[in-house]
Amino acid sequence: MEHILIIGGGVGGSLAHDLTLRGYRVTLVERGELLSGTTGRHHGLLHSGGRYVFHDAETARECYEENRILRHIASEAIEPNGGLFIALTDEDLSHRDRFLEGCIAAGIPAAPLSPRQALAREPTLNPALLAAVRVPDAVMDAWRLAMAFFATARANGAVIRTFCEVTDLKMFGRQVAGVRVIDHRSGLSETIGADLVVNAAGPWSGRIAAMAGIGVPIQPGPGVMVAVRGRVTQAVVNRLHPAGEGDIIVPQRRLSVLGTTAWLADDPDQVTAPAEHVARLFALCAELVPAVAAMTPHAVWSASRPLLQSSPNQDPFAISRTFDCFDHAARDGIEGLVTLIGGKATTMRAMAEQTADLIVRKTGRDFACRTRETVLLPYRRYWRGDI
Amino acid sequence: MKIETTEKKPWRQIEFRIERFKPGRIDPPRFQSFRVAVDDQMSVLDGLEQIRLRQDAGLMYRHSCHHSACGTCACRINGVERLACTTRILSLNTETVVLEPLRGFPRLGDLVVEMTAFYRDIDPAWSLLTPAEPIHGAADPAEDPSLRLEACIECGCCVSSCPAAHRHAEFMGPAALAALHRQMAKVDAARQHDLLAAAASPRGERLCERALNCSRVCPTDVYPARHIADLRRRAKASGTPPSLK
Ligand SMILES: Cc1cc2nc3c(=O)[nH]c(=O)nc-3n(C[C@H](O)[C@H](O)[C@H](O)COP(=O)(O)OP(=O)(O)OC[C@H]3O[C@@H](n4cnc5c(N)ncnc54)[C@H](O)[C@@H]3O)c2cc1C
Ligand code: SF4
Ligand code: SF4
Ligand code: FES
Repeated sequence: MEHILIIGGGVGGSLAHDLTLRGYRVTLVERGELLSGTTGRHHGLLHSGGRYVFHDAETARECYEENRILRHIASEAIEPNGGLFIALTDEDLSHRDRFLEGCIAAGIPAAPLSPRQALAREPTLNPALLAAVRVPDAVMDAWRLAMAFFATARANGAVIRTFCEVTDLKMFGRQVAGVRVIDHRSGLSETIGADLVVNAAGPWSGRIAAMAGIGVPIQPGPGVMVAVRGRVTQAVVNRLHPAGEGDIIVPQRRLSVLGTTAWLADDPDQVTAPAEHVARLFALCAELVPAVAAMTPHAVWSASRPLLQSSPNQDPFAISRTFDCFDHAARDGIEGLVTLIGGKATTMRAMAEQTADLIVRKTGRDFACRTRETVLLPYRRYWRGDI
Repeated sequence: MKIETTEKKPWRQIEFRIERFKPGRIDPPRFQSFRVAVDDQMSVLDGLEQIRLRQDAGLMYRHSCHHSACGTCACRINGVERLACTTRILSLNTETVVLEPLRGFPRLGDLVVEMTAFYRDIDPAWSLLTPAEPIHGAADPAEDPSLRLEACIECGCCVSSCPAAHRHAEFMGPAALAALHRQMAKVDAARQHDLLAAAASPRGERLCERALNCSRVCPTDVYPARHIADLRRRAKASGTPPSLK
């Protein structure tokens, strides 16, 4: 059976799961701990798709479909408390009909609520709200949801190596035949051969592609998040308007996470959390839930979106959150390399399915995807694989 | 729409003294110092990231969520078990930040420990969800009550801090006993009985010395010692036979 090597322990975990289910031999290498890139520290929203109905119908539909699948295959890592989109101004209100129509078009069940109904459920909302719409958003434990994919992949035979950084691709002419890695435990470099290498290095995928002398349309798009103590609401709160800054509050455990901002960066490793972004998040999120204004940050951090670039210098909120996988044989004449870019944590299973379908075609196999219906193992099985 | 990030103004130079360990290479472990320019918002984890990205790419530590949700970044900071991601460097009020891995777990390298033993007495199937505390004034719909993830993020701080866990390798330990107690609230009487029997076994609550370190270090207010005290009370009340001793 072909040996597939995946670079990157983010959505690479869902790909490792898909490929092992289809019967491939899989090795995944990650330069740090699993999920130490973007997938471990995103906002935690299991999107209903509502956020994308205005400008990105494809992503909206994709999100809702995956939302339902993940609730089925990884229910224990999800707080299933729904989400509200709330209108605070006449301008917000003017978007409501288009929002509801967009939800219907994308198949997302959306229920309009009166301000009174919304405040009865969530009394901390801005009492001046003009309207609300309830959608099936949910909250994921970013670590535990993704670890369920790794646990299942590992139980099915995937070899997962952490603290193992790819430093180069092993090339025979225009054929990628494996990777050079440095294992940070031993300090030793080694070559791992593979029939096919998948570049799933997220915002870092441009660096991997450069090792093959090619480019990929990746644009790191960092954003800042702030956690405050206490659940200010039970449901996710979104502002009813086209996606922008500081317009989502995600409650999780006994915290609430305010987010996010967005800008475009060149180096995903040199991303900071500027103080003015933190101040802006507090100000904007206090419009949704006024009590936020009096709170202090419990944690401040940033993460880089691996945005699929279509033209330079776009508005980062308007860039599609869809994903793509590239066969570099067709694209650049480099055999043995596939790159997976874009998407959301919410769509990690679908990203894996599409990439694995490409790998099936490339390897001339005929294996069907089984990840839609395969319930994942509890994430703790990652450590207790023996039992 | 290119927005430049403004580099935060460094406030102070702080020394990070990190216990390094690489099996067979830096072995036995030894301390190494790094200097980091620190501002008033930076966490210990931010400091580690700076060292890895600018000074030593081989520095090993675990991290993922950066906001006390995953539990991976626990280590001993100036001798006390804490999360690196929610510990502000300047709040420590020291010129030197001493970092060591959690105690009682096999070391993989630098600050990274192997967590398999942590899960020995936590059944992978134990539920992670629990009813969320009601929000004041809210009408939580009875047909779909709000749920939240359990407070325990399985960071291992309590186990590392527990004197009994270091004295008795077989001790189930504070995290597993707290998780067991949480699970009891979610199952029927027969399963509760089995769980209580496990907690009352020779490896269970009786080995706890009530040192309370676990409750002191827990970053998410699980208060394992309270769960253990309740298990002890219930084990006594149900008259678990002393012959098990
Ligand atoms: C601010 C923000 C908020 C977000 N909020 C949400 C949300 O609420 N819901 C949602 O669904 N999505 C959200 N997203 C999007 C989502 O997090 C990302 O789309 C997704 O996690 C990207 O996954 P990835 O695997 O492509 O990248 P990553 O998770 O970054 O994975 C790439 C991995 O490759 C590793 N790597 C890099 N170089 C090497 C190398 N040389 N060798 C070995 N390994 C290497 C990295 O360490 C990293 O772990 C958010 C993103 C951001 C930035
Ligand atoms: S109270 Fe018990 S479990 Fe907690 S630290 Fe002390 S001995 Fe350990
Ligand atoms: S009980 Fe607290 S200290 Fe112990 S593992 Fe859980 S979160 Fe960490
Ligand atoms: S990084 Fe997740 S708890 Fe600190």
